[in-house]
Amino acid sequence: MSDKLIQLRLGIGAICLAAFLLLIAIPFWVTSPSNVPNIILSPIFWPNTLAIITALTGIGLVLSGLSLFSVKAPKSFNSEKNTRAFFRLSILGFIMGITILVMPSLGLVWTMMLVFSSSAFLVGTTYTKTAIICSIVLPLILYLFFAHVAGVAIPQGDYVRLP
Amino acid sequence: MSFIDNIMAGFSLVANLESFLALLVGITIGTVAGAIPGLSATMAVALTLPFTFSMTPITGILLLLGVYKGGIFGGSIPAILIKTPGTPASSATILDGYPLAEKGQAGKALGMALWASCTADLISNLALILFAGWLASFALNFGPPEFFTLILFSLTIIAGVSGESLLRGALSAMFGLLLATVGLDLIYGTQRFTFENPNMMGGLNFIAVLIGLFAIPEIIGMVWNPKADEGKSRALGNNWVTFQEYRNSFRSIVRGSFIGVFLGSIPGIGAAPSAFLSYSEARRKSKNKENFGKGELEGVAAAEAGNNGVAGATLIPLLALGVPGDVITAIILGAFMVHGLQPGPMMFLINADIIYGLFIGLIVSSVFLFFIGSIAIRGFKYVADIPRSILFPSVMVLCVYGVFAVNNNLFDVGVMFVMGWIGFFMIQYKIPAAPFLIAFILGPLLEDNFRQSMLMSGSSASILFRGPITWFFWLLTSITVFTIARAGIKTRQNDS
Repeated sequence: MSDKLIQLRLGIGAICLAAFLLLIAIPFWVTSPSNVPNIILSPIFWPNTLAIITALTGIGLVLSGLSLFSVKAPKSFNSEKNTRAFFRLSILGFIMGITILVMPSLGLVWTMMLVFSSSAFLVGTTYTKTAIICSIVLPLILYLFFAHVAGVAIPQGDYVRLP
Repeated sequence: MSFIDNIMAGFSLVANLESFLALLVGITIGTVAGAIPGLSATMAVALTLPFTFSMTPITGILLLLGVYKGGIFGGSIPAILIKTPGTPASSATILDGYPLAEKGQAGKALGMALWASCTADLISNLALILFAGWLASFALNFGPPEFFTLILFSLTIIAGVSGESLLRGALSAMFGLLLATVGLDLIYGTQRFTFENPNMMGGLNFIAVLIGLFAIPEIIGMVWNPKADEGKSRALGNNWVTFQEYRNSFRSIVRGSFIGVFLGSIPGIGAAPSAFLSYSEARRKSKNKENFGKGELEGVAAAEAGNNGVAGATLIPLLALGVPGDVITAIILGAFMVHGLQPGPMMFLINADIIYGLFIGLIVSSVFLFFIGSIAIRGFKYVADIPRSILFPSVMVLCVYGVFAVNNNLFDVGVMFVMGWIGFFMIQYKIPAAPFLIAFILGPLLEDNFRQSMLMSGSSASILFRGPITWFFWLLTSITVFTIARAGIKTRQNDS
């Protein structure tokens, strides 16, 4: 991606974000008492100020992007590699989502064992045995530290409970 | 209390096995993490932070400082042996370190890096001890308007120098400030962007944001390109640095240390620019300037002195003013807060024993760094051999445990994942993450001081220009914006 494209995309994105904040997010999701004596002390003043500065930064980015020469950035990878990379990223996103969903019922330790092994295989590890051993040992060691040394209540899940 | 009383109080706090062990373990973790390409000192400090919750404040902070110092030195090992800097600060070390390794003198280069690092570290620590107290006593005169202008200046300089573009840095800082508004309003207690979710009423958890922003994007990057950062390690060779060679480079080491101290004490500059400036100054003043870039030992010494000279000095604004100079000190600020401490001028009065305990610990850390560094140089082969496909899943597991442990809250883990994707997007769009994090931490402080100033003045903006201190910071902010903008325009003109 060229610098020009980056500046333009970021600038437009920042302006859209600022517009969203000023028109929707702040009016609907920031509550302010009706009897605030001065607008500067109101809870909405600071978010509004930040949104306006974000819009100004966005305009600055667009203007500086427009003044840049368009230089094509060299392609660092081919489209097939790119597709595979996106595929791996979507699986990682899926793993993260599933982690949040299953952790309360499966428990942190067992979930982490699955997360470790699935992410190791996702990046194509050739150290299969090491990956499996680490996926079991590391979450257990961390469980021992956090549960028994630091006194953190690690979620145990509904199935297999650890001492 | 007198200076001697403070020193004695600090000594009584750290003179125990636990503190020294924490420092030793911290330096070891930092050196190993810094030596692993792909892991950075920042990530190491962030991942160590959750382990400090169950420790006493002084032990936990010493552990983190050890990781910081070890991490900065550790980064030079892969820079010399495999031409891949373990941390960005070690980039300048490659210039002469790797050519030396190619000549079979890697052991000599690493030895010099260690000597230079320890010397610079010691000088930087002494500067911290000398200047932090003085600055803190001066900062006792600061009121809300002065703090507002100081934080504004810090954010401006951090936004300006962290990335390639001032505007992208500013955008990053704006994102951080906006995210910091989530939660209950500081004065009225009304809800801001909480969506009636009780998890968001206290604001987003700092550690979840931090680890999400600095560790998870590395994992996503690894999944994006699993084959990156694979380098061939050079042998150490039989040569080791001699005392005469150290003496020959001593002027460059001291000069680099002072450059590091000066740049480190200014928020936002960081270790990498300091290393490059120190290197270029050493080349300019050296008799062997033609050898620089081809394997000159003095070049390695200067670069390492430059980046390690920053380590102690970045703590000057943190401890004296409560303003973090870079991401690592921002994490350390978080550690202080987790333990119920607020760095700043008042800490020198209320918790002087902790401050002086840290000073003593830092001086000792330079000695520990020397011994652990010597071992790490020889043990690098084993560290470099850790497969990335095992390392990064381990980091993921550490991240989840660490973030969960903060509040026993699954919501924080979700925040961390979301921040990880945002961090990855920011890397792709060349938006620096440092202004985001520092703005996120300083955001409530900035807003609070602004609103307090307005309350004091009856909403008159003139209070923000009430005296020489506020004028001084406004002037610095203006100079910073002008200088960075001018440099950006010049670069663009040269490119076209």
